[in-house]
Amino acid sequence: MNLEEYRTLFIVVTLVLALVAASPVLGVVVPQGGSERFSEFWLLGPTHMAEGYPFNVRAGEVYSVFVGVGNHLGGSEYYMIYVKFRNSTQNLPDIDSSEPSSLDPLFEFRFFVSDGEVWKAPVTFLFEDVIVEGDVLFVGDVTINGVSFPVDVSAVWDSEDGGYFFQLFFELWRYDVELDSLRFDDRFVGIWLNMTA
Amino acid sequence: MGLCSKFFVFSVFLFLLLSVSIRWVSAVDEDVAALDIAEAEEVLGSAYGAVLEAEEAGANVSGLFVRLNVADQYLAEAYVWYRLGVYENATRFAGLCSEVVGDMRGEAFGLKSKAHGLWVLDVLVRMIWSVGGVIVVVFLGFVVWRVFRRRYHKRVLGLRPEVVSGES
Repeated sequence: MNLEEYRTLFIVVTLVLALVAASPVLGVVVPQGGSERFSEFWLLGPTHMAEGYPFNVRAGEVYSVFVGVGNHLGGSEYYMIYVKFRNSTQNLPDIDSSEPSSLDPLFEFRFFVSDGEVWKAPVTFLFEDVIVEGDVLFVGDVTINGVSFPVDVSAVWDSEDGGYFFQLFFELWRYDVELDSLRFDDRFVGIWLNMTA
Repeated sequence: MGLCSKFFVFSVFLFLLLSVSIRWVSAVDEDVAALDIAEAEEVLGSAYGAVLEAEEAGANVSGLFVRLNVADQYLAEAYVWYRLGVYENATRFAGLCSEVVGDMRGEAFGLKSKAHGLWVLDVLVRMIWSVGGVIVVVFLGFVVWRVFRRRYHKRVLGLRPEVVSGES
């Protein structure tokens, strides 16, 4: 190695060391890349596991599930969950066009979740005023977490699958700071219920 | 008209007047409840925006988030009662929501200013350390290079064959 090559090596090493010395302020100036950002939205059975979900339900009996949201969006978020009830012909949210279901919500949860944190809550429900007339089952009342809601939902006997099928589903909404309001977050979860009077 | 008849008419009149008045005072109609809920929602959204700004500035907003969550539960209750047509309860819960939020916006701005001040100080300290570090590294590099070059020359020159005269 001649002197000129040694000089180049010295300059390179000095520059690298200078960059290391400047790293505290570079950490403020240079934006740091983050991991993927998303919201988790889940529904668990009564034992906090993804199993044992209520399916065959009877009028007057109480059933429970757990609903939860995980925030991985890099900052605190304001969420809302709408609980809705429908039969198989009524509309679900349309994820492709970011449209929530047009059905009126029954119950709702509102909460704030810090980044990296999880929120969860128990949801108990029971059906009352359930009447079967011919091949149609009418549900007149849904109680969610102790609050009773009058509904007028009916299902025709499904001869293929053998039951009267309804769905209890949960829509996730998130506060949009720019819009200054909550908007549907393109996520929903639900359980199918085979109802008997 | 006898005394009894007068008393009866007066009693009926008083009863009607009272019943109308009491209903007028105690009943909360749908519009009032909707207005209270909208106001509570606006206050909550505004407080959330301020808390978010404080959090982005690096402030510890966990205490404010606890209060926001309480207020939010009241607002959810207000909406549930409103949908059920129980407007008194809806108004009551909307009021509780606004009450819990209170002057949270002001508190959040205070925390934000404090966090911003700390951030500026932190950047200043980092800057001093970085600039000082770079100066030291460059200076040491220069000194080491000078020493190295001198030794290199001495070593290389020491290896050169000496020119001697051919006289013998």
